[in-house]
Amino acid sequence: MRRMWDRFERFLFTPESDRWLSVLRIGLGLQVLLYELSLRGDWNYLFASTNEGLIGRQLGEAIVNLHSRLVPEVAWLVEAGAALGLPEGTVLTAAWIGLLGAGVCLSVGCFSRTAAILAWFIHLSVTTSGSFVAYGVDNFMTIGLFYLMLSPLPDRFSVDGRSDETSPASSPLLGFWRRVLQVHLCFIYFFGGLTKCLGSGWWDGSNLWRALIRPPFDVLDPEWIVRCQAFLPAAGIAICLLELCYPIFIWGKRTGKVWLVLICVMHLGIGLAMGMYLFASVMIILNIAAFAPAPPAQALGVDSAAGEVALPAVVR
Amino acid sequence: MAHFLLIAVVSARQSLWLISRNLTIIRAGGENSWEKAEKIGATVLGENLARSHPFPQTLATYLHLAGIETGYGYFAPNVPGPGKLVFEIHFRDGRVEYESPHVNSRAARLRLAGLLDKMGAEEYEPLRKIMVKMLASSVWREHSDVESVRALFGSLVLPTIADFQAGRGARSDFLYGYDVINADLETAPQNPPKP
Repeated sequence: MRRMWDRFERFLFTPESDRWLSVLRIGLGLQVLLYELSLRGDWNYLFASTNEGLIGRQLGEAIVNLHSRLVPEVAWLVEAGAALGLPEGTVLTAAWIGLLGAGVCLSVGCFSRTAAILAWFIHLSVTTSGSFVAYGVDNFMTIGLFYLMLSPLPDRFSVDGRSDETSPASSPLLGFWRRVLQVHLCFIYFFGGLTKCLGSGWWDGSNLWRALIRPPFDVLDPEWIVRCQAFLPAAGIAICLLELCYPIFIWGKRTGKVWLVLICVMHLGIGLAMGMYLFASVMIILNIAAFAPAPPAQALGVDSAAGEVALPAVVR
Repeated sequence: MAHFLLIAVVSARQSLWLISRNLTIIRAGGENSWEKAEKIGATVLGENLARSHPFPQTLATYLHLAGIETGYGYFAPNVPGPGKLVFEIHFRDGRVEYESPHVNSRAARLRLAGLLDKMGAEEYEPLRKIMVKMLASSVWREHSDVESVRALFGSLVLPTIADFQAGRGARSDFLYGYDVINADLETAPQNPPKP
């Protein structure tokens, strides 16, 4: 029992370089920027109150409040703004600028921790209030920003890290947070793959056809898809297996690299073929941060035992 | 550990819910053990306790803060037909025009499509009615001389490849409609909601 616990502890706290954290920080910073720019024309309309917005944020907020009143929401910002005499529209614009600023700071690594917390808070607030207009990309951004703000920032590749000589090149805490992200991705793909396998349409390609011609994801010409129809069943099954087997093959020394490339190609394909660019980019960022092989230990000044971290102790 | 347990329970519960409702290739049967398993998941998440109880409140807060409050069954087990909402606008001068909810950017269009899908999947009729009412309010903001609005919600039935090759396109299936009577947005259902 003791030995098992030791192995589990080694698995969770294997020292890791901060390279992955740099990828996560820069990637999510750029993701936040793209998210902001893509919604700049609709921001106030999507997240304004009932009499101003598309559906009104109060409905989403009321439903979340049934379960908890401690989840950040736009109403908190609006109330704070009202106390200062600011109208809702101004507060929403300030939130947009605040999130944009946090994205810029994360990208360059300036005030990294504060920027990560601010980005997580504002993004979660608009996701909660706009829960009816939220989709997968918002969940994955929340997950990424949640782990980022808890990780040992700053990394050495950030502006903060360069001026902070106490930033460690490698630490068990860095390894822990990477491991949490890795295991979380395994859950995501396993259950995503399992649920797809339970649908008949993923085995005969019909779900892929429906996904590709379904507005507003109908980027490709249906005539062209029909010409490729022989590949649809194989592609559907490949997606199911790729996701379902992710938790097994992503850990292997050789299979891990192959799986990482395949899963990134899959997301790139979804992004291009269905116009889900933000969804594709956040998934690729999370995967690369979690599973891209660590650079050689010597190059980072990490001792050899600590450098050998791409494979978890329990698998070795 | 608890964090991973929560992710597993929330995700597994979604899969079990789909199976118990016969929405997958697994037939749940009369003695629905899938439903029982799903209820165990609900118990773990404290959903059997009163909403005011600190345990489900704390858990719900953590799930939302970490972004793990939902499972990961995107486009699964099957890809549903997209929802479609049309407002039949009746003006005071007798004119009738048709409009759909609209946004500016492609990113927002994806979100609007998600909203319509959620409306289509919503089984709780009063909530669906409120959603329609909220969306219809934009019509009054944009047009000053509106007398009433009829909101018609449907689902697009996508063609199969064979249908498409035979020249048949998508068709709309009417699901429900509401008359939004006046500017204070009272609604009257036109038909009983479908199960």
